[in-house]
Amino acid sequence: MATRKKAPQKKVRKTVRKAVKTGGNNMKAQGPLAFLFGILFGFFLSKARATDYDTVVNMFRFRDFQLYGVIAVAIAVVALGLFLLKKKSIPTLSRQPLDWEPLEFEPSRLIGALIFGAGWALSGTCPGTSITQIGEGKLIAIFTVIGIFLGVWAYHKYQPVSESQDDVC
Amino acid sequence: MAKITFFIHQLPQLLFVQYWSWWAAGLGIGLTALGLAWFTGRKLGVTGGFEDACSVVTGGKGGFKTSPSHWKLIFIVGLLFGGALANAGHWGWTWTYGELDGIVLDSLVLKALWLIASGFLIGFGARWAGGCTSGNSIMGISIGSKMSILATLAFLTAGILITNILFKLF
Repeated sequence: MATRKKAPQKKVRKTVRKAVKTGGNNMKAQGPLAFLFGILFGFFLSKARATDYDTVVNMFRFRDFQLYGVIAVAIAVVALGLFLLKKKSIPTLSRQPLDWEPLEFEPSRLIGALIFGAGWALSGTCPGTSITQIGEGKLIAIFTVIGIFLGVWAYHKYQPVSESQDDVC
Repeated sequence: MAKITFFIHQLPQLLFVQYWSWWAAGLGIGLTALGLAWFTGRKLGVTGGFEDACSVVTGGKGGFKTSPSHWKLIFIVGLLFGGALANAGHWGWTWTYGELDGIVLDSLVLKALWLIASGFLIGFGARWAGGCTSGNSIMGISIGSKMSILATLAFLTAGILITNILFKLF
């Protein structure tokens, strides 16, 4: 029995090692890695209290500074990390370069940003946290997710900005 | 020693029940985004996951901008489990939604409509702005994108205005 059990274990280990090594270049590894990071991201969003309507609203009312702190620390960590990876020219595990182009400047995007901000305030959630809320058991967020889905869909119907670059969030 | 045993006893509470302080949670979010970049070479973005979902529904038609092998869609499915995991110690479902309940006069139908409408604004606006809080505010600012900094300021401006008007009214 014991030897039988070992074989699949070895296989799993091998797959994991391969996934870690080849990362984004290995299309089979992409799914599990994306899933894993999705779980982590949802976990930390929840821990940050970013999934709580009152916390988000109180951020906008300057009564609770938790989320300003969370966003600031997150930006600092990512900026510093990317800077170090670049400066020490550490390659990514997938050997893909980290030279993302900044989002092209397009003034009309600010209208979109204002619309997003309004939605963020009215619902007390953003796209990532709305899905996390469902996982937490806040089932009303199902309707937010439906709304976001419809909004993304509608954007394609009435696309106000012609898009040249393909890397959009 | 006593401190260590105390910590181990507190660990399940810390992981599966409690909220974290701003710096700890921010560190986690930052390291996750950084880890995703280092492991897969991909830039975090949640709205793209919705884009993928649209594309899956239409069967690839409609010109939606999909991510390679729909990794963003898989990523946002992971968010569901992350939210459940963070509250595994006291998980339970609810239809309540904080202070919004009072604004919609405790009507479930009104609340659903309210959230669909504001969700629509989120989806439409996020795509137009070229990203949401994750794509623009976290990743965009981190790589020094001027557009993302302006977009984030616009997010906050609209959010602050709308919220304060709303709570003046109700």
